Amino acid sequence: MSDLLEINDLVKYFKVDGSSFSGKKETVKAVDGVSFSVQKGKTLGLVGESGCGKSTTGRTFMRLLEPTSGSVTFEGRDVLKMNRKELKAFRREVQIIFQDPYASLNPRFTVGEIVEEPLIIHKIGTKKERKARVKELLEIVGLNPEHINRYSHEFSGGQRQRIGIARALALEPKLIVCDEPVSALDVSIQAQILNLLEDLQDRYGIAYLFIAHDLSVVQHISDDVAVMYLGRIVEKSSWRDLYESPNHPYTQSLLSAVPIPDPDIQTSRERILLVGDPPSPIDPPSGCHFHTRCPIAQEICSKESPELKEVTPGHLCACHFSKPYPIPPEIAAQTIAAPGEFHPE
Amino acid sequence: MSEKLLKVDDLKMYFHTRDGVVKAVNGVSYELDGNQTLGIVGESGSGKSVTAMTIMRLISMPPGKVEGGTVTFKGQNLLELPEEKMRDIRGNEIAMIFQDPMTSLNPVYRVGRQLSEPLRIHKGAGKKEALERSIELLRLVGIPNPEQRVKDYPHQFSGGMRQRVMIAMALACDPDILIADEPTTALDVTIQAQIIELMQAVQKRTGSAIIMITHDLGVVADMADNVLVMYAGHPVEYGTTEEVFHQPSHPYTWGLMGSLPRADMTEKSSLKPIDGMPPSLIDLPSGCTFHPRCPYAQDICKAKVPETKSIGGLHTASCHFAGDPGFSREEMEKELNR
Repeated sequence: MSDLLEINDLVKYFKVDGSSFSGKKETVKAVDGVSFSVQKGKTLGLVGESGCGKSTTGRTFMRLLEPTSGSVTFEGRDVLKMNRKELKAFRREVQIIFQDPYASLNPRFTVGEIVEEPLIIHKIGTKKERKARVKELLEIVGLNPEHINRYSHEFSGGQRQRIGIARALALEPKLIVCDEPVSALDVSIQAQILNLLEDLQDRYGIAYLFIAHDLSVVQHISDDVAVMYLGRIVEKSSWRDLYESPNHPYTQSLLSAVPIPDPDIQTSRERILLVGDPPSPIDPPSGCHFHTRCPIAQEICSKESPELKEVTPGHLCACHFSKPYPIPPEIAAQTIAAPGEFHPE
Repeated sequence: MSEKLLKVDDLKMYFHTRDGVVKAVNGVSYELDGNQTLGIVGESGSGKSVTAMTIMRLISMPPGKVEGGTVTFKGQNLLELPEEKMRDIRGNEIAMIFQDPMTSLNPVYRVGRQLSEPLRIHKGAGKKEALERSIELLRLVGIPNPEQRVKDYPHQFSGGMRQRVMIAMALACDPDILIADEPTTALDVTIQAQIIELMQAVQKRTGSAIIMITHDLGVVADMADNVLVMYAGHPVEYGTTEEVFHQPSHPYTWGLMGSLPRADMTEKSSLKPIDGMPPSLIDLPSGCTFHPRCPYAQDICKAKVPETKSIGGLHTASCHFAGDPGFSREEMEKELNR
């Protein structure tokens, strides 16, 4: 298998104003040493809760944001050393679909203009050829090509997301970053878009970096899944391993918290309740970032940051006690008995 | 005779707008007892929130207008109650938790004052007494250090904590019914699990009834005793959670279930989405409102509005073919694939 995209130890810090009295600058460690690779024609899911840095990761490797450090290789080329011209060529091969289909389409452009714009920027085809291509693209994503002169407000949320997908497809990219592409949509429409993305992958061999907070959606579409917590990847494996033998306690609690639409399963299974809220990425906890909410944390967890190591072939986990433990029932019971206990760091 | 705590019968709420009449809620009926949880599921625009707001009389009229139906709470029709009397019920006997904890708290008042307000208005509590009870409420919903936190402003709380404050506020007067309108939609899953657990614990303790409005079938499977599935202002299926999940009888419910990816799957299977989009509520399709998207629609579905058919027990579905032999999700999908 060949790696299309390889990211090593990617870091993105943001400087923010701290206290207005001391004038001290503080650092938000949005992405704190993330490594993964995406294979040709495959889907890597990046899942995590709000503020864990999953979107920033997507934007940083594309250099929509300049990374603080790390390395990004796309088809053997070093993305971080590219000059303007090279970067433009790179962006032709890597496209992005955004979460909000309302905000990501220019309301003053017609659908035709929106989908044509990338072709114009990259100087592809004559005007006539471009128009034919736009119509073809609209058809591919399941829109009526006759609607080419309509404006985006005339479309529903799901149709707008299809327009965004057509725009991303225009340059025949090898990789599409899907940043929460279905989270703003109703379930029945969400399923349509997921099916469309899968269909496009089968037809054109596009790889996806699929960023979402919804574990069931990520599990559905991904070949491999990486779980992020506070700027770091805590676990990465094939989708099947992740469900069948989650190693990291965060993954386990995440899996147990996702509601399953089946009353029998839902009422009988153990739920591992995490205490408190995720800490701020401005001043993340020492050692393992998860130790303040972890039901099995030991002393070492607050001191040393665990490495992302292989536990079984292809299955990586960053936990000092990494093994496919089910959390001992007595500990799970404790956390359920005391909801909302706060563990200040 | 045991009287139901809440009985909604054939409720219709229309909005008269410049573009036409929006039939937001079109004949919704359900019943609720103490200690029970009713889950109302549907997609955006299905009328699930408007149903709840109508019960609370929170819809401004005009443009809204109740076109029919009754809402009977403890023997009185809430829709005919004078506003003053309604004010005694709202927030006192029936309380509501809103979706967005960021915007439903007043940013310029301390949390303690906002929590005290219902107590002072409905229970005639003094300032000090109300504040003490507020601290107790915050402790009940699992907010650490409540003595200090009552003095904080909403922006000093995180999203999950704000939703806890909202729940505390709704619980202030020990309501008989708690209406929760998408209380966890804006929250992360691990926080959602905390809030669901909290609501269940509160119910066990106070015995109040809960109406849980959500688009998430998973949340319903977790919490609800009974389920009402809504589509385009109509209830399409109603029953106990087991009935609806084990023997779904309306093609829309099948479509919803087929659209959902599951985190616990062991084999990849493709999703079976519902084709098309929900209809405009101004210009509803003739007959069964679901027929343009229904893969099993026949001529009768276009011509005639389906009756609510009883399938056994509490279970009803508004489909011409519901309950017919062979009209089950598995059988019909097999037929469709052929």
